[in-house]
Amino acid sequence: MSDTTFHDQVIAILPKLRVQALALTRNRASAEDLVQDAVCNALSAQNSFIPGTNFAAWMHRILRNRFISNLRKRRDTTDIEDVPSSAFATEAPHEDRLALKELAKAMARLPGDQREALVMVVLNGMSYEALAEATGCAVGTAKSRVFRARRQLEAWLFGERPESGAALPRPLRMHNSNATSGGLAGQDFSARL
Amino acid sequence: MKHLVMTRPKQPPAMVSSQREREADGVSEAAFDLWLQRSLHQLFDQVAKEPIPEELLRLIEENRRK
Repeated sequence: MSDTTFHDQVIAILPKLRVQALALTRNRASAEDLVQDAVCNALSAQNSFIPGTNFAAWMHRILRNRFISNLRKRRDTTDIEDVPSSAFATEAPHEDRLALKELAKAMARLPGDQREALVMVVLNGMSYEALAEATGCAVGTAKSRVFRARRQLEAWLFGERPESGAALPRPLRMHNSNATSGGLAGQDFSARL
Repeated sequence: MKHLVMTRPKQPPAMVSSQREREADGVSEAAFDLWLQRSLHQLFDQVAKEPIPEELLRLIEENRRK
């Protein structure tokens, strides 16, 4: 692979790196910094990339490793209140915005590896195999993270599924006490990875 | 000649009920998956589409020229 192709691939993958970074950091400014740090690492290590192998997995892995490394150094935490307002912007109608706000809060509550896995599969269109390679885990683990994330979000947003008479999802519940009491401040994010 | 009318064997009410519950659960799950996918896109797409900072692009291009 020529140098030109490598750098073009770095530029092309930046939007997906941003999505991954935002899923990990839950903070837009931190996500931008993380992407830049990861790109620096990748440029420094470009000679170690084997042409013909999975560039996306390699690049996502670098970003993830950089995130974990930063976390261990700084023990960054993010106030959950910061997540819905500053991390995400939407022009959806009012009722949809309420639902999206609840989803954003619920996403922030997920363990980091589950949140990352869900986002990479749903938004970046990754296969479970690619996700496993990008996050350094077994394919079964990758699948499990996505499944558990999805199931947890469903439980938080729609409540436990009834034993009988199940129908379409009920209206969203406002988990105000659960979402804000204690929040995620102070929790060791690295323990969840 | 009597016509043979093929009818589905009658199932016990409990089996029919649990079958309906499974079907309803399937619809519910599919509806949630669709909502989740759309909502995640609404939350993240705008961030992903924002212009890449000039500083970052400059960094990559400077490295390219080395």
